[in-house]
Amino acid sequence: MAEVTAVHEPSPFGITSRKLGIWMFIVADAATFAAMLFAYGYMRVANPDWTRPFAFWPTIANGIVMTVVLLTSSLTIIAAVLAAQTGRKTTALRWLGATMLLGTLFAALHLREWIAMLGDGWRLFRNPLGGTPLVGATFFSVTGLHLLHVVAGVIVIAVIALGYRRGRFEPGHLETVGLYWHFVDLVWMFVFPLIYLMNMR
Amino acid sequence: MKRYIIVWLGLLVIVALEVAVTLSHPPAGWLLAGLLVLALIEAGLALLYFMHLKYERRSLMWSVILAVMIAVILMDHFWLDAFRLLHQRLSAP
Repeated sequence: MAEVTAVHEPSPFGITSRKLGIWMFIVADAATFAAMLFAYGYMRVANPDWTRPFAFWPTIANGIVMTVVLLTSSLTIIAAVLAAQTGRKTTALRWLGATMLLGTLFAALHLREWIAMLGDGWRLFRNPLGGTPLVGATFFSVTGLHLLHVVAGVIVIAVIALGYRRGRFEPGHLETVGLYWHFVDLVWMFVFPLIYLMNMR
Repeated sequence: MKRYIIVWLGLLVIVALEVAVTLSHPPAGWLLAGLLVLALIEAGLALLYFMHLKYERRSLMWSVILAVMIAVILMDHFWLDAFRLLHQRLSAP
C-alpha cells in the first residue's frame, strides 16, 4: 500500500497561521476605522455649522491622560511577550495584569468623560450647543467603537493570561494578542488628534 | 526592552507636539495637515517597532500597508461630494 505524505507549502510571509490571521483581522479593522473617520470628515466638511465642543480642561487634558495610559499599556504588553519568550512565566503574567489594569483605567476615564457629556445634554443625535447634531453622532460612534475594542482586548488578554498560566497557551498566543492590543493603540493615534484636538475650542 | 522604551518616549513626545500644535491655534487646514503628519509618524513607529513589521519579511509588511492604503485611497472620492454640499449651503439664500 502506497504511503501518503502531506505536503505543506511554506508560508510566503514566514509567519504562523495564527499571526497571519490576526494581521488579516487588523487590515480589515483598519479599513473599518478608516471608513468611520472618513465619514466623520465628510460630515464635518459638509456642515458649516459644525461646533467645536471641547475645552482644554477637562476634555483634552483627560484625552492626554488616556493617550499616555494606552501608549504605556503597549509597552507593558511588549514586556509580557518578551518575558514569555524567555520563559519567565510569572513576570509575563504580571505584565499582562498591568496591561489589563491600564486598559481598564483607559475605559474608566473614557466612560467618565461620556457620562459628563451626557450630563451636559449630549446625545447621539442631540447637540446642546445648537450646531449640527452630527457632532455627537460621530463622537459617540467613533469613540464607542474604539472603546468596544479596548474592552474586548482586556477580556481577551484575561482569557489568554489564564490559559497561559494553566499551560494551555504558549508565548505565541501572547504575541498575537499583543498585536491586537498595539492595533487598538494605533487607532487611538488617529482618534485623539482627529476627534479631540480638531474639535478643541 | 531599551529600544521599546525609546520608541515609547518618542511616541509621548509626538503626542506633546500634537497638543502644542493645537494650542497654537493655526488655521484648520494647517492644523489638520500637521496632526495627520504627526499621527502617521506615530503609527509608523508603532507598526515598525511595537508590531514588529520591521523584523518581518518585506512581503508581509507591504501586503499589510498596501491593503490599507488602497482602501484609504478609494475612500477619498467622498471629498468631492462633501465640498459640493459645503458650497451648495454657503451659496443658499
